[in-house]
Amino acid sequence: MTFVLEAVGVRHGDAVILDGISVTLRSGHCTAIAGPSGAGKSTLLRLLNRMLEPTSGRVLLDGTPLPALDVLALRRRVGLVAQQPTLLTGTVLDDLRVGRPGLTEDEARSLLAEIGLPPAFAERPTAGLSGGEAQRVCLARTLALRPEVLLLDEPTSALDRASAEAIEQVVKDLRAAGGTAVLVSHDTAQARRLADDVIVLRAGRLAEHGPPDEVAYLRTATS
Amino acid sequence: MTHEVHVPSWPGVVASLALVAVALGIVARARLRISRELVVAAVRAGVQLIAVGALLLAIFKYAGLPGAFAWAAVMVVIAGQVAGRRGSGVPRSRVAATAGLAAGGGTTLLALVLLDVIPAQARVVVPVAGMIIGGSMQAAGLALRRVRDAVTSGRAAIEARLSLGLTAREAFAPHTRDALHTALLPVVDSTKVVGLITLPGAMTGLILGGVDPLTAIRYQIVVMYMLLAAAAISAYVTTRLAEAALFDEAHRLRC
Repeated sequence: MTFVLEAVGVRHGDAVILDGISVTLRSGHCTAIAGPSGAGKSTLLRLLNRMLEPTSGRVLLDGTPLPALDVLALRRRVGLVAQQPTLLTGTVLDDLRVGRPGLTEDEARSLLAEIGLPPAFAERPTAGLSGGEAQRVCLARTLALRPEVLLLDEPTSALDRASAEAIEQVVKDLRAAGGTAVLVSHDTAQARRLADDVIVLRAGRLAEHGPPDEVAYLRTATS
Repeated sequence: MTHEVHVPSWPGVVASLALVAVALGIVARARLRISRELVVAAVRAGVQLIAVGALLLAIFKYAGLPGAFAWAAVMVVIAGQVAGRRGSGVPRSRVAATAGLAAGGGTTLLALVLLDVIPAQARVVVPVAGMIIGGSMQAAGLALRRVRDAVTSGRAAIEARLSLGLTAREAFAPHTRDALHTALLPVVDSTKVVGLITLPGAMTGLILGGVDPLTAIRYQIVVMYMLLAAAAISAYVTTRLAEAALFDEAHRLRC
């Protein structure tokens, strides 16, 4: 699952959100998107599962332009976890079933184990979850689709340490199994820990692209 | 059974102006500063009703049944604008409301005429259409308002569902249910308490006209049932069209 962005631009009215981005996100790698707030990081992520359409240029997945693929199937193969965790139903188990109604209780328990939560968590009402628990359930809900690519938007910002570590472990496991991950992160240390490649955006333009130890932004920016 | 309908004569109407003078006196004495407004309202009511009366007379006399349906179509367009405004922010909300009212009003009215529940006469079709479209307008307006609120307060949840590969319709389904629920509550409630809390218009009119109450309620029962059907159809079609306009072909919110 290699994404190629060709001269991608996104405009919103007069505002230029992304401008002339040409970059390849390699299959089986973890790519971190870094850069200051408002640089267009989340926008870039949303292009990859077609929650957003570029106003110029195009995005290809394994050589096929995204609009030529079935969008619903694409979103199941390319799972996006939003920055703000949003739970959708009454209990954790119901939430895990939103994208996969046939999910068994055994499968749910093993998903919970993947994100470091005990099996009994499936019965918990979603209303009482902490931010970290909610974010982990949202990740598990996406993992229930067995996506080939995981898109994570600031997955661990403002989370407790246990939740952050559990989520990072999921990314490492996915990588080890040959999956692809794209991660938006303010946290430069996290980008160094997880990423094979780093893309730095500045004011909607591609400022840097390379392995973590060659990207100047990760050395200079404080997270 | 024939009735001698007793309605006020024109001198009687003029005499009732004395009652407006009483209201004016109270307003002036209490220094409410709405004397002018009250006079305008009273004059306006008279002029408006005379105009409508003349129009209805013309329709009944010269335009017949086609004229009655044409007038119903005009009502649908006006009510569609009013209900559509409740969904401002939802793309093409006025089109959705107008189409919903046309579907709900048209189906109900035609069913009543074809089943011979009401006679196919202009003097019957016009007021019945007015009741149907008025009730449906409220339902369609409420539905659109809920749809609009769903886009603002429910955006994160809708996008979360879409990101899980759900279709636009599936992702919006909880909001569709909520919009229909909200739209139909008032008409269900008023159907429950009809006759107990309110003596509704059709029944009141017939009783005033000298029809005996047990006959008058037959009309009212039909009115309540047709209002239920018309409101349900109108709200459903309006919500579905609004929902379709909210999403593009790639299952994304347009606005």
